[in-house]
Parts: sequence; structure tokens; C-alpha cells
Amino acid sequence: MARLLDTTKHDRRLARRLKEDPEFRAEFERQRRQIAQIDSVVRQLDELRKEAGMSKAELARAIGREPSSIRRFFTADVNPELKTVAAIADVLDARVEVIPHLA
Amino acid sequence: MAWGVVYYMTNAGKVPAEEFLDSCPAKVDARFAAVLDAVRNAPPPQFSGGGYWEAMHGDMGGYYEIRLTGPGRRQYRLFCVLDNGSPKELRKRGFARPQIAVIAGMVKDSGTKFTNRDYARVRKLGSEYLGHLPRRISV
Repeated sequence: MARLLDTTKHDRRLARRLKEDPEFRAEFERQRRQIAQIDSVVRQLDELRKEAGMSKAELARAIGREPSSIRRFFTADVNPELKTVAAIADVLDARVEVIPHLA
Repeated sequence: MAWGVVYYMTNAGKVPAEEFLDSCPAKVDARFAAVLDAVRNAPPPQFSGGGYWEAMHGDMGGYYEIRLTGPGRRQYRLFCVLDNGSPKELRKRGFARPQIAVIAGMVKDSGTKFTNRDYARVRKLGSEYLGHLPRRISV
């Protein structure tokens, strides 16, 4: 049986950078928040699609796109365009909203 | 289950991806880390990485890249492969869980292109990584 490798280098490097560099830490946290929002929007659209019993190909036809482009959209093979997000939300009877944080 | 993140280490003991990240501005380094963090916690085929994580095609099929714009519109790229398989296969590679293997990084000025030779260099490193059992990684 092969011996397991120590795979903690990335985690140790990240922990060190977060501790030592305030600029790194601030940007890391900011980007994490932004990425989480984008990922959440796309995943919610995929959930709505599944709840609607719609295949990716059917969704693609509904917004006039190639099925392959919608497959790529939901699997992070392409950078999601806002117009595609809006078109998919519309077909799934949803909308994209921006909600300000409460002061 | 969250995946791990490992850096490929060459025969000569160099770690191209880590050297690249160390040379990046702090904000770019942080953004790469944030994308890797998102993808490892929601690995493919889920959507993850905020649109910065993209599958490559053509000669680079099988690779993924993180595409960032840095200061002065410079274009930063980090090239990765997904090291996934059955528990038995992973164990042979030295892993207890799937890994995002970070192979190398490159930077270019806005409006310029990487050459075929640049990409061939990344593929060579990637092939070296995938050709070793257990994997050779930075520890």
C-alpha cells in the first residue's frame, strides 16, 4: 500500500500569507465574498432548472442558445455573462436582484 | 468532501506554481487563493470559482486555468489539473482524497498572447506530474 503524501503545503502557505500580509488577507476575504455570490447565483439557477423539470437542452432552446453553451454555463467551463444569467432567470420565472447590506 | 490543493514539484526540486505565486503581487496571489478555495470546496462538475476558473480546450484539454487581471492590466494565469479517481487509485498516487494539482503559472501583458511553446512547457510539466506514482508534490 502506498504511503500517503503530506498534502498540507497549500494550507500552510495560505495560513502564513493570511497571518503575515494584511493586504493579502483583505483581498482574499473580499474575493471569497464575491466568488461566493457568483457561485450562489449560478447554483440557484441550476436548482430552479431542476425543480422545473427542465433539461439543460430545453433551457438552452428556451433562451435561444446552443445546449453545449448551457452545459458549460453550469459547470464553470465559461465565465458566466450577466445577460445569460438574466435570460435563464427569466425563463425559470425568477429574477436577479441586488440587495444592499443593512447599515 | 472538500478536495485538497497540491503543487507539482519537478525532478530538480523546483515548484513552478509556488515560485510563480510568490512572484505575484499580493492581491493577485490572494485572488488565486480565493478561487482555489472556492473550487476545492465545490469541485467540478459543480459551478465554482466565480467565473475565474475555466476548463481549457484544444491542445490544453484536460487542464483548467484561473484567469486574473492584475495591475497594469497584466494577465495572470494559473494552470491546474484535477487529480481524481477511485479511492484505490488515489491511494496509489499518495492521496486520501482528490486534489487540485497546481502545475504552473504564467503572466503576460494585456493584448499579447502566450506562445505555443509557453503552453507546451505547461503541458510538459503536467505530463511529468501525471506520470509519477506516487505524485511528486511540494511538501
